Amino acid sequence: MTDSELHPYVELIAREARRPVASDPAARARVMAAVRAEPAPRRLPVWLRAFQPRPITLSPAVGGLLAAGLVGLGVIGGNFALNRDGRNPVGQPPSVAARLPVSDTVFVIVAPQAAQVSLVGDFNDWDASKAPLVRVPNSGLWKVTVPLPAGRHLYQFVVDGNWVPDPGAPVAGDDGFGRTNSVRIVGTGSAL
Amino acid sequence: MSDDAADVQRVLAGDVDAYAALVDRYYDRCARFAIRMLGNRDDAEDALQATFLRAYKALNRYQERDRFSAWLYRILVNQCRSIAARRAHREKVFIREEALLLNAPDRTPNWTGEDEEFVQRVLSELDPLLREAFLLKYIEELSYEEMSALTGVGVSALKMRVKRACDRLRERWERIKND
Repeated sequence: MTDSELHPYVELIAREARRPVASDPAARARVMAAVRAEPAPRRLPVWLRAFQPRPITLSPAVGGLLAAGLVGLGVIGGNFALNRDGRNPVGQPPSVAARLPVSDTVFVIVAPQAAQVSLVGDFNDWDASKAPLVRVPNSGLWKVTVPLPAGRHLYQFVVDGNWVPDPGAPVAGDDGFGRTNSVRIVGTGSAL
Repeated sequence: MSDDAADVQRVLAGDVDAYAALVDRYYDRCARFAIRMLGNRDDAEDALQATFLRAYKALNRYQERDRFSAWLYRILVNQCRSIAARRAHREKVFIREEALLLNAPDRTPNWTGEDEEFVQRVLSELDPLLREAFLLKYIEELSYEEMSALTGVGVSALKMRVKRACDRLRERWERIKND
């Protein structure tokens, strides 16, 4: 959406909110007073700076080659790690993929009056377009199956545009934004 | 080297006063976001104090290849989230009515006053996640990629949040118009 497409009222609110605020000069002085009370930060030694995490940018071609190389290494490593019959050698830890199986996980909610229901969670970027629920015929039940890795997942339903926690699931408490998320623990091999 | 990077280097060399230049350069812009996000000046000042203090203490981990403003904003967004979490259930009171808007004869959005409380009231009605995305997009005028880097949220989710914020505001206008 571009500015030119904004509804006049939305543009009005944005324009008014963009106005500078008059800040209190004393507040800046308080910041600096607090800063001066702290020990001064010092440059990290060169050897330590070398270990700072840093993003790297790759061209698509280089990225593709790197990905292919990693896959190749995985295949070679897998061949070395498995016995000839494909089983993990005794005493060896399973691969990462084996430790994080993906389970088809079913989410259901009863919403007989709803026209549209979707599932949002930390597994789909809280994007309401990614996991729409389907109404079970002749019932008020809505259902969707989502492949999830083992672990703890936070989610909510979006019922006709309103975000609601799952009434049949434990909650994670307030998320700091006035909202309560539901929790789904997916174990290895769990189907629900 | 940018002004920001030069000031950071001076601070790391022991010149604490150089940090005042950074505070002066960014305080008002950060204050606008914090006030719009948190809805009141006291909480906003807490967020700003914590932000600038945290940034100062972590300055030796700031990477010069990053924009200082983006790095600072990332801290600010997190501080605002933390403060919002602490006062999640505190009652917010807005005492002013949007009389000018409601009394507009043609009922078109022609309100042009400087009533800060009006804007705060409208923004406060948005879900905080929607408000945060709306502010970063249309008040701080960041790209979705910049917003994603700041918040750690995917671009598609942020687009959805901004769209929903705009939808909520439009619905609000429809309610006002039809009352």
